[in-house]
Amino acid sequence: MVLSPSSVDVPDAPVAASSREPVIETKNLTKQFRRVLALDNLNVEVPPAAIGLLGPNGAGKTTLIRILLGLSNPTRGSASVLGMDTASDGVRIRERVGYMPESSVLPSNATAADFVGHMAEMSGLPKVAARQRAADVLYQVGLDEERYRLISGFSMGMKQRVKLAQAIVHDPQLVFLDEPTAGMDPPGRDSMLELIARIHTRMGMSVVLSSHILEDIERVCDFVMIINGGKLIMAQPIGKAREDMGEIVVRIDGDVDQFIGKLASLGVHDVRPGGTAQTSPFPDVIVRHTSDDVYDAIRDAAADMQLPIRTLRSRVHSLEELYLQAIESGDAAAGGEHGS
Amino acid sequence: MAADAAGAFAPPQPEQSFGEVYDRGYQHYEGQRLGRRQAFWALTVYSMKRALGSKKRWTAKVVPALMYVAIGLLVAIPLGIRAFVDELSILEYWDYFDFTYVILAVYLASVAPEMLCNDRRENVLPLYFARALTRADYLMAKLLSTTLLTLTVTLLPMGIYWLGQQLLEDSPLPAMKDNIGDLGRIIVLCVVVSLFLAAITLVISSLTGRKSIAAAGIVLALLVLPVISFGIAESGVSDRAAGYALLFNPIALHGEFAYGLFGERSANEEIAHIFPTEVYGGVMLIAVALCCLVMFWRYVQSD
Repeated sequence: MVLSPSSVDVPDAPVAASSREPVIETKNLTKQFRRVLALDNLNVEVPPAAIGLLGPNGAGKTTLIRILLGLSNPTRGSASVLGMDTASDGVRIRERVGYMPESSVLPSNATAADFVGHMAEMSGLPKVAARQRAADVLYQVGLDEERYRLISGFSMGMKQRVKLAQAIVHDPQLVFLDEPTAGMDPPGRDSMLELIARIHTRMGMSVVLSSHILEDIERVCDFVMIINGGKLIMAQPIGKAREDMGEIVVRIDGDVDQFIGKLASLGVHDVRPGGTAQTSPFPDVIVRHTSDDVYDAIRDAAADMQLPIRTLRSRVHSLEELYLQAIESGDAAAGGEHGS
Repeated sequence: MAADAAGAFAPPQPEQSFGEVYDRGYQHYEGQRLGRRQAFWALTVYSMKRALGSKKRWTAKVVPALMYVAIGLLVAIPLGIRAFVDELSILEYWDYFDFTYVILAVYLASVAPEMLCNDRRENVLPLYFARALTRADYLMAKLLSTTLLTLTVTLLPMGIYWLGQQLLEDSPLPAMKDNIGDLGRIIVLCVVVSLFLAAITLVISSLTGRKSIAAAGIVLALLVLPVISFGIAESGVSDRAAGYALLFNPIALHGEFAYGLFGERSANEEIAHIFPTEVYGGVMLIAVALCCLVMFWRYVQSD
């Protein structure tokens, strides 16, 4: 079969997002269940991206997803998805959004093609188009040959692919994936992550990936949102988060305490002694990289004290370190700062 | 591959290639999106097909198929007898539900649990509720599918029976014109009773995720309730108390409604006459509303 050149997409070329309008926006979003405050005054704007949603159990991730899908109403505040209000436009949002739950949700005695096609119709696609889309999407997730087999005979990995296929069969703009690699073996997990990355980069869909596996999020996502105890701890591009929460190691030829005092006088307070490395006679000073102005302060402090700087390097944290720092600090104010 | 003059095989030249394969990539969907209406009808049709065993193993098709055969025979045999023995009618319109009640009960015990139990047991509901419909739409689609399926064993055979009766007349067309009122009564009767039976059997199915328990509950409700009700009516209580007992009896409800619609006298007339026909129809519709409320309570969460 020869397709016209216009119908052939370019491998690995990221599809440009049609708009940089936020896909998710919340304003003072609060959800109170009898005695439990599930979401507490959440303010966030999330651009089109592959978004990692992180938080410990009970942090409010599932409640947030339910509200964003229009399945639950906020107690206070508002949320919008793709520019539509979740409280009043739930059905329209769900036409344009896909959802892959964590739990086992597939009927056993239906074929993959039949079920995925049915789910496309349930999203409003006409019958013939739904059947075609089901075949296309099952091909995309690697179940082309098996699509007429009963789901009951599928392995765990194949079932996860069917769940993913039903989430994207109606070509949504945004897909919520709840623990998509849960229970999968390493090769299966690997190919599932590749698929998720393709959904964002080649299919042009924004993805919200809720997972406990930080490595998965680090591998697939370019934006991270951390919530804890219903509060937003962080919401920003992963690269920027690493920079902002990174550290600068300064190795000086002089008195550490005086240098720290000088930095404090220049407004840099998040500084601590870093000890002396075995390979060097000079002591280290660790400065928190809160902004690029910190570099200027280090330069000015060293110049004022006429201290030679032997080494100046930044230390970037892994997502796991970022996550642990964010959770431990539990700083609600940080959420407000990074919220938009 | 082409052989050259020396007999050696030469590789194919580019211009000789007869086809090329491209990665078909991902195609965005740019067609129609019909929204909630399409989702509602898709669920209705899919539920009907699945309940009849479509695209399932043959064992799932056995019970509905047998019930259709049984209903077909119950209509065909009286028509056949009527064809040979004029003036002998062994099945009257108002008796249809009495004749077919057990078959209807078994049919509904096989169909109604398929509507709700599998979705609950296999946890498919989160996928449905994340689609372009509401929980209320889901329940209404299930009620509509069950009612439509019930109509295939009530209205369809009765309609065929009515048509057969007219065709056996000496002048079929004038007979149809004369008896069109009966057809109207058949439609009203079948729609109300089918809706009533669908709602009762669905509400029982909504209480459990196990099809076998739901099926047993349906058979129990449809067959034991009448026994209790008739038992009370026959136990020497006052006519009024016996009349109220009939209101809890599915057989008596649609029976008295049918007799009333066709202007016939029922076997229970001594006690049934205390309520007009409309009351029996009304009670069935109130039962439908109550069943819907219970299902909403089960499925529609307050938050």
